[in-house]
Amino acid sequence: MKIELSIKPREKPFIPIEAESITPASFLEKMTEDITVWSGNREKKLTEIFDVKKSGNADSQKDVEIILNGDCSAVKRVGEYMKDGKISIMGNIGMHCGNFMSGGLIEINGDSDSWLGREMTGGEIICKGNTGDYCGSGYRGEKTGIKGGKITIMKDAGDYLGESMAGGEIIVNGSSGNMPGSEMQKGTITIYKDAVLPCPNMRGGICYVLGEAKEILPTFKQTGSIYNSDHKRELNIYEGDYANRSHKGKLFAGKTNKK
Amino acid sequence: MIKKNVICSFCGCLCDDLSITIEDGKITGVDNGCALANAKFLGKERLLKPVIREGDSIKETEYNTAIEKAADILKDAERPLFFGWSGTQGEAQAKGVHLCMLLGGVIDNTSSLCHGPSILAIQEVGHPGCTLGQVKNRADLIIYWGCNPLEGHPRHMSRYTTYADGFFLKNAFRERKLIVVDVRKTMSSDVADEFIQIEPGGDYAVLSALRAIVRGEEKIIPESVSGVSKSQLKRVADMCKEARFGALFFGLGLTMSKNKYKNIRNAVELTDELSRHTKFTISAMRGHWNVYGANEVFTWMTGYPYAIDFARGIPFYNPGETTAAEILYRKECDALMVVSSDPAAHMPKKCVEHMADIPVIQIDPHKNCTSFFTDVQIPVAITGIEASGTAYRMDGVPLRTKKIIDADFLTDTEVISRIYERILEAKADV
Repeated sequence: MKIELSIKPREKPFIPIEAESITPASFLEKMTEDITVWSGNREKKLTEIFDVKKSGNADSQKDVEIILNGDCSAVKRVGEYMKDGKISIMGNIGMHCGNFMSGGLIEINGDSDSWLGREMTGGEIICKGNTGDYCGSGYRGEKTGIKGGKITIMKDAGDYLGESMAGGEIIVNGSSGNMPGSEMQKGTITIYKDAVLPCPNMRGGICYVLGEAKEILPTFKQTGSIYNSDHKRELNIYEGDYANRSHKGKLFAGKTNKK
Repeated sequence: MIKKNVICSFCGCLCDDLSITIEDGKITGVDNGCALANAKFLGKERLLKPVIREGDSIKETEYNTAIEKAADILKDAERPLFFGWSGTQGEAQAKGVHLCMLLGGVIDNTSSLCHGPSILAIQEVGHPGCTLGQVKNRADLIIYWGCNPLEGHPRHMSRYTTYADGFFLKNAFRERKLIVVDVRKTMSSDVADEFIQIEPGGDYAVLSALRAIVRGEEKIIPESVSGVSKSQLKRVADMCKEARFGALFFGLGLTMSKNKYKNIRNAVELTDELSRHTKFTISAMRGHWNVYGANEVFTWMTGYPYAIDFARGIPFYNPGETTAAEILYRKECDALMVVSSDPAAHMPKKCVEHMADIPVIQIDPHKNCTSFFTDVQIPVAITGIEASGTAYRMDGVPLRTKKIIDADFLTDTEVISRIYERILEAKADV
């Protein structure tokens, strides 16, 4: 089954739309007319906000593909609790895309806003543009961020990438903002360009910064260096964060300036 | 006539020992207050009548007309934003939450621009705090990090820390040590036993280094961390460990500089580490006199301290998404009500630009920058002077402020209640 959603022009285009109902599961289980989204404090029919074109049939979520057309940068929570199937976003997408997802694929052609793949446990997200802050992190006060799955960002990521990460993999092809991998426990982050203050307070996990790691904390201990054949680069190896009781994290960083 | 033991409703210290001289129903003198208190109690300038905007002009009007107009603006809004609250009484804050719930809006208080990050850190790692009375009577080591109490909270040191008598300290002034941490010299750093000057943005690294030193991992710390020498860090760590009762106070220098809430998290974790050696506590230097009350009231009503979105009928909280500055910046709201605050003076230009595009209601006794954008401004009685009301001190102790002179203004609570009732009537009519 293929569902094509095109966002209609709105009188107040900046009022956020909360669309956790845009998942393969809800199109499989519900009639399109019964699906609702929230615009500000009003519950509206999906068809009031989007032009919906549905074709084909599906037996399981795996056979469902949803395509979002137009600028969806005010549409939040698309693909929340997604288990299987595919969501293709042709433009930008709003916050909390792929929250708690456990399977399937989300492909974003434009930029994604903050909290992309928050607390996901499986599946894959590919964002061809930039992403905002808290990509692959947890909710406020949450002890763990993503626990599984894979997030790939083709351009840059914002601040607090993979906060409290507890598994899975995040790859950023550009640079990341401030504090990637803070409170990290498990999993792998790879940043191909630069990062600022990587992995503060990390307890475990592995982080690669292949460009310049700015301001590595004084509580990281350099244990040597290694030639990484995968990335064809000489990388310094750090262990940390020694401010913590548990400091089994590993940070591999290219050119550095220790603060 | 002199009224004694008056509570000052200016900063989070809520000093409760002011003497106010009143002649012919007007305040003519303030004793025991700081310069900020004097300015508040003796202030003359204020808005006398409600005003509404008609076209390009501002017109004076009556309370009923202004309340009617405010209700009209709010009742059809798809995403109204309610901001401010830290300069008003607890009763009005509670009414405000009810109003926001009724309308399915977003309610945020000024913590999102000051100590919001402290709350985020507390939600991650907890708050080993205590009341100011404990600090006054027991603490023999005081740390002020990223704040300048002598100018920001002028009586904090004399009432609760360095210059106060302590029940369990024989000669409090001589027994108490004072450490000030800041990026520049201030009045407070001049009276400190130890002044740590950090390069701007280096707080996180220094806190991490202190944690490592306290844990006995000093070997890995380089000779200098963010402009602070390792020997000074070791000296300070020893001072902390040797103290019988240490109290760390932090201000916006820590919450609103680089790394924001992670700084506070690190400071809380340092406090935690030090508490394995001695008694150590950490507290925020809250700014507005009832900002703690706003957090407190919002929390007991909704479960969250600030930035609460009621759009779906249930509270949702996510600072960075539901905080006032972000909502205005993203142009997400279509009406704004400001209570006892001045967002136009403090928020980024883009936020203020959106304020110019949407209807704005302001409930405030004074004209301020935000008044230039308002469609309705309703003046109210000043709590603590012309009206009584509940306020929470920066350490979470609730105090009842007093009414000391009479005035013909409605209180914030009355105005918000009347807007609430008007909207209920309008909803019933439909």
